Amino acid sequence: MHIMEGFLPLEWCIVWFALSIPVVLYGILRIKKITEEVPESKSLLAVSGAFMFILSSLKIPSVTGSCSHPTGNGLGAVIFGPAVAAVLATIVLLFQAILLAHGGLTTLGANIFSMGIIGPLVAWIAYKSITKAGLGSVIAIFFAAFLGDLLTYVTTAIQLSLAFPIPTFGDALFKFLVIFAYTQLPLAIAEGLLTVVIWNGLKSLKPRLLEKLKVINPKYENLAETENIPKPN
Amino acid sequence: MALEIDYIAHNNNLKDVESKIKIAISGLLLLVALIANIPIVSILIFFIAAIFLLAIAKIPVRFYLKFISIPLSFAVITTVFMIFFFGTGTILWDTGIWGVVVREDALNLGITTFLRVMACFSALGILSMTTPVNEILHFSAKLKIPKVFLEIAMLMYTTIFIFLDQFEAMSNAQKTRLGYNGLKNTYRSLGLLMSNLFFKSLDKGEKLQNSLDSRCYSGEFPVYKK
Repeated sequence: MHIMEGFLPLEWCIVWFALSIPVVLYGILRIKKITEEVPESKSLLAVSGAFMFILSSLKIPSVTGSCSHPTGNGLGAVIFGPAVAAVLATIVLLFQAILLAHGGLTTLGANIFSMGIIGPLVAWIAYKSITKAGLGSVIAIFFAAFLGDLLTYVTTAIQLSLAFPIPTFGDALFKFLVIFAYTQLPLAIAEGLLTVVIWNGLKSLKPRLLEKLKVINPKYENLAETENIPKPN
Repeated sequence: MALEIDYIAHNNNLKDVESKIKIAISGLLLLVALIANIPIVSILIFFIAAIFLLAIAKIPVRFYLKFISIPLSFAVITTVFMIFFFGTGTILWDTGIWGVVVREDALNLGITTFLRVMACFSALGILSMTTPVNEILHFSAKLKIPKVFLEIAMLMYTTIFIFLDQFEAMSNAQKTRLGYNGLKNTYRSLGLLMSNLFFKSLDKGEKLQNSLDSRCYSGEFPVYKK
């Protein structure tokens, strides 16, 4: 759920930019450090960002009969961590604004805050805490995608009701949340399910790679002994 | 092709005009629409942008209408929602259903917001329909945006098109095998498609890095200017 170009008044555009830019800058510093240590990771990050772009332009069927676009940030945050995911989401949102006319340039700050910062952060915390609790990564990835998606919408609702607090902030928030609950709750579940299917694919085809990225803990998973795709060395 | 707008951006009447000018025009209109926030200014900007795109940049009318209809449906829904459910001012019209009324301040807010969205969207259209992404990124380098950010953005932009081709090929292959028949199959096919695409993306990333290294990539794609 992107906020449309021009939908927010000027002062709120500035506020959300001011809140998002420090986080994105921190992410860029992280990426700088990573790419200085491992120069090859730059292209890996770029193709992952492109993957997120394709994922977010995918149509998934949902219960309400409508189609939705997944945010794709849950997966990115789990694999690369929330700070890097914020930077990738920023570029993805920029391209969505320019190439697909989803979202916009003036509302970019607000969209980064909801989809690039809150969503991935929640997804990452959910994934880490559920895997720490000893439950399998499949359950964790479902809740990561589901909660990441849901909290993105809640943040958007808060942003909208802050911009249009009529009659009061609480009243507007309630109205936006009711509308979102009807339309977005099924979509969040749909995204959770789709992410699980993708996750199962990743796990069965290249488990060692996920282990190397420190995403799954082999202690709790029964992984295939050999990779289906031969390793280069 | 999925990204028709990219084709338009590379093939319009203003493609040889310096990108600085196009970005300045678009940014100026965007800021004016946002700061002024008056219906009459918004309407004016909408028409300026329409004339600019159709008469000067010679964007196909069919594509322009398609572009402008993207925000239209969304904006109409939100505006109707705002008009009927918001506001505390004097009641203009009582619908008589569940106490839903139209109030004066809500009507004003709804109309102002609707027009502002349309104006800002047209201003964005000037940018995205006349200026290719690589030129926008090249321009951003002058605005002290970190280089590594732009590098990744540039690499991402080139990779998106490779992926779109692969995505199309794979989903066509699934469609010919009835992969999207029913909800359960759809989820299974989408999952297979995206997880395979992810591995392809990892392979592609490696190959991309190798080819960039072998061509002495130093973190910059120079843009040729006439």
